[in-house]
Amino acid sequence: MEMLEEIQKLKDEATSALANLKSSEDAENFRLQYLSRKGAIAQLFEKLKDVPKENKPAVGKSLNELRSFVESEFESSKNNLGGKAVTSDGNIDLSIPGRKRYAGRKHPLTQTANEIKRIFTNIGFGIADGPEIEDDYHNFEALNFPPDHPARDMQDTFFVKSEEGKYVLRTHTSGVQIRVMENNKPPVRVIMPGRVYRNEAISARSYCLFHQVEGLYVDKNVSLAELKGTIAYFAKEFFNEEAKLRFRPSYFPFTEPSAEVDVNCFVCGGKGCKICKYSGWLEIMGCGMVDPNVFKAVKYDENEVSGYAFGMGIERLALLRYGIDDIRLFFENDLRFLNQF
Amino acid sequence: MKISRKWLQQLVDLSGVKDDDIASRLTMLGLEVESYENFAAKYEGFVVGAVLEVAKHPNADKLKLCQVDVGGETKSIVCGAPNVAAGQKVPVGLVGATVPHNQHDPEGKPFQLTMAKIRGVESEGMICSANELGLGDDRSGIMVFDDAAVQGTPLSDYLGLNDTVFEISLTPNRADCLSHLGVARELASAFSKKFIPRRVKITEDGPSITESAKVEVTAQDLCPRYSARLIRGVKVAPSPKWLKDALESVGIRSINNVVDATNFVMMELGQPLHAFDLKRITGHKLIVRRPKEDETKFTTLDGKERIISPDMVMICDKEKIVAIGGVMGGINSEISDNTTEVLVESANFTASSVRRTSKALGLSTEASYRFERGVDPNLTIRALDRVGEIIAETSGGKLAPGIIDIAAMKFLPKRVELHVDHVNRLLGTRLATGEIIRVLESIEIPCDKKSETVLFCSVPTFRGDIERDVDLIEEVGRVYGYEQIADSFQTRLNFDTRFRESTVLDELRDLLAGAGFHEIITNSLQPADIAGFHDPASVTLANPISEDMAAMRTTLLPGALQTISVNLAHGQKDVKLFEIGRVYRVMDDQQVVGRFRESARISMAISGTADPMSFDRKESKFDIFDLKTDIERLLAFLKLDSWDFISYDTTKEYEQSLKLFVNGMELGLAGRVGKAALQRMSVDQDVYFAELDLTSLLALRKSTNRYRSLPKFPFASIDLSFIVSDQTPAANLMDTLRAAAGDMFRDISVFDIYSGEGIPDGKKSIAFSMALGSEERTLNDGDIAGFIEKAEKELNQKFSAELRKQKS
Repeated sequence: MEMLEEIQKLKDEATSALANLKSSEDAENFRLQYLSRKGAIAQLFEKLKDVPKENKPAVGKSLNELRSFVESEFESSKNNLGGKAVTSDGNIDLSIPGRKRYAGRKHPLTQTANEIKRIFTNIGFGIADGPEIEDDYHNFEALNFPPDHPARDMQDTFFVKSEEGKYVLRTHTSGVQIRVMENNKPPVRVIMPGRVYRNEAISARSYCLFHQVEGLYVDKNVSLAELKGTIAYFAKEFFNEEAKLRFRPSYFPFTEPSAEVDVNCFVCGGKGCKICKYSGWLEIMGCGMVDPNVFKAVKYDENEVSGYAFGMGIERLALLRYGIDDIRLFFENDLRFLNQF
Repeated sequence: MKISRKWLQQLVDLSGVKDDDIASRLTMLGLEVESYENFAAKYEGFVVGAVLEVAKHPNADKLKLCQVDVGGETKSIVCGAPNVAAGQKVPVGLVGATVPHNQHDPEGKPFQLTMAKIRGVESEGMICSANELGLGDDRSGIMVFDDAAVQGTPLSDYLGLNDTVFEISLTPNRADCLSHLGVARELASAFSKKFIPRRVKITEDGPSITESAKVEVTAQDLCPRYSARLIRGVKVAPSPKWLKDALESVGIRSINNVVDATNFVMMELGQPLHAFDLKRITGHKLIVRRPKEDETKFTTLDGKERIISPDMVMICDKEKIVAIGGVMGGINSEISDNTTEVLVESANFTASSVRRTSKALGLSTEASYRFERGVDPNLTIRALDRVGEIIAETSGGKLAPGIIDIAAMKFLPKRVELHVDHVNRLLGTRLATGEIIRVLESIEIPCDKKSETVLFCSVPTFRGDIERDVDLIEEVGRVYGYEQIADSFQTRLNFDTRFRESTVLDELRDLLAGAGFHEIITNSLQPADIAGFHDPASVTLANPISEDMAAMRTTLLPGALQTISVNLAHGQKDVKLFEIGRVYRVMDDQQVVGRFRESARISMAISGTADPMSFDRKESKFDIFDLKTDIERLLAFLKLDSWDFISYDTTKEYEQSLKLFVNGMELGLAGRVGKAALQRMSVDQDVYFAELDLTSLLALRKSTNRYRSLPKFPFASIDLSFIVSDQTPAANLMDTLRAAAGDMFRDISVFDIYSGEGIPDGKKSIAFSMALGSEERTLNDGDIAGFIEKAEKELNQKFSAELRKQKS
């Protein structure tokens, strides 16, 4: 059965030759060598006439199998080289990169806000919204900032020119808390993202506006411990599992008790560096238990419900998360910046 | 606020407590320590030196070689300062010392002194400037001390800086901590340390105060307490070193022994004081009252004339105003070198009144800062005794017997009831009654048990911020320690549909980002002229940061142009941008807030090359149709059925201008931005910009269509080409074709527009590709022919259009 061995040998040769096809030229050479009218396979068919009669059917079958095998393998190898290139124009540089197209991105502040929203909506928070031009009542008074109180100095305020009444560009999203509670009975559990304004000189560290996410949960028996647990969950989701928090007593007129929340500096691991001003901690938000005077303002029964509120700056969180050192970059919209997120 | 450790240690025993622990405990008690500086450590290795000899440096003209006695040892030091001279007493840094501020480093980083050869000559130290020591801005030459300075004295001792100074950022509620006494109280609680008992030593002499001075308070609502003491035979002089050092350590400039004593007591106890020269008080009587009608001006200590108003509180004598109560004294009764009789005011003014006055005058002082936050009304006498002690000691004066004290009432501790279960419910703790009592008593709030679970707490008058049970609960939490409260995270889930946010905005962002647009977020404050140019009803600010940001935006256009300008500046010419943001205007009708309407807009801006950097295709610039593509994509995404673009003549913003109408409402503008607007933002290439009313579009949006079964029969596709006047809008032809097709209409697009050879002048050939179909059957040749006939007839009637050719 020399013929069958020869067939097998040719099959092996052709297979390895096919594996080495690199160009359309190679392919054409292969075709000439194996598949052309005077090619190796045709030559084997020539030899079929010398095969003993009783073996002819088997050898013929193998030969046919060989031919169809090589033909189909050749076709698919040829396609892998770049299809029509081989058959027709023959010479195209496939190393040319694809055509450039515009590739858009969502703004890093949008991305950060979306992440914050995702985390809180996952644990049952809704989302609410409110006006940026706000009356004194919602921005200050209902939040327990009495007129002529020094707490009003904590936020430098823009006032709107108006003949009727006192209006401000909201200094925080906390006014939305009031609007939500005025219009909805407890329990309420919402976050309130939005743009706020501060009349501060523009620098790498502060801009005349920024974005906040306010949070509010009012229900029976809401406690400071629950607030701590919720914020700890947020920090682990937003930063990482290892995020450690520090709750530091502070003061906001609309919460009592109040706290500032610091996260351990992930740049230096808490050892102290320039970013954390050598304290090992980075301030991320203010929070506290809703002050009874706020409940009075929205006609909630302070003996029935308690609640917590928190507020964080989206820019601040994005700065920390991405290691950005200048807040103005967010509002310049330099594409070299936007493309990084 | 600066707090000195040395000063604290006069009040409370802090032995064995590290600076670092003080800082971290204060921070965790809510008195945030922003930084602290240990001057003894900072100036280790610095001493006072006496310059014995100054010679020229052998190898450098500008340098000198000095021999400096640093206390029993003479060092050879190279110095480049122009003012160095033999006989001076100067600050010397020895080898190993760290110079706090490097004058030659742009960031001023500290550096350590080593034995160094300067131009070939060894220098065994460094004579420093005030700037290098971090003691001032002067860098022109070395610091030169008083001749009395003794060489070898450690610099921190000489400067009175062997101390640690804490910079504390206080929240407005903690007025009680605006003094060393207040901070000492917190520390005594934090470290379980005892106050150092100290008795004020005063001797009274001569006739009683009431024989020399009188006080009358008529505005008792603004001044609930007014106390005063008299010191006779005072000799005004510079303060002794301890007093100067103490004040300077907390950042207060020394003036003279009398004024310094009042400031010292304010920093120590928190009571603002004011010293009057009694001889300059006409009639030797002070009257606390509101100004009279004709009293409208008053010159304060700083020499500035102030406009006063009738609701302020004034300290007056028989003829004139001598001080603005709680804010600042007047130049007409201030302590001078000739003053011998000093009347010290120790008063309590109503917080809100002082705040209004200070705001109205634009004048904030250490005194007004404290009064507007609330000062303990029971501090007046203690402060007078303390200041009397110091003035007597430093000026040789004698205290007149007695104190004038006019009080509206007795100021007693507030009684606040506290329920233990309320504490635990709000904090989420399980504190025992005894534990709560221990915590509150550690900050001087005594508690009586009314029952096992109800306490009566006596809040001392220095804690004006504590009025209610929640205020006490905060104190319990704060002092017990927030970090001691275990986190809980078992929020009950209640599913609430009231606060659902639609996801459509984010879907739009995804759509546009996918279409190659970058999202931008721009300032919503603009120059008033730009905001007003686009909409005269713009909202303007009463107190803008600058003219550039004096109004709220009325359109997103300037933000987009600004962004393009920023990107052009660094060579980025090809941009696709979008922004979702609010615009603001004044409306005539009532809105949610006042007459202000805020509505959401979406803008798109494209500029530059439509297909950037393609190796084989012709580069083409963006045009209005690229912009329409994306607007239409957006409208289709919102599943709006139909819309119209109406073209307008050049408007003030746009050339090639279009208005978008949906359901008959004008909901947007699009076009090529006009040259004037481009020039204003220094943009020198075409910008195509669209701005749509997002609020309205979202209201019109159809969120889910009903499913329609898929077509059972194939569509017929036909191409039709007409010759019409080149003035005929394509949209009109398309509307007619659509109407002619009726129920069979499926789709239409323009695939060719041609004029020139073969087409008569003033005409164009326009070709449409249409898809027609039926719900019932496959359309046959007859259906198609019927349609073409109808279309041809109608187009001919309406537009004199001529059918050129057809293909199907």
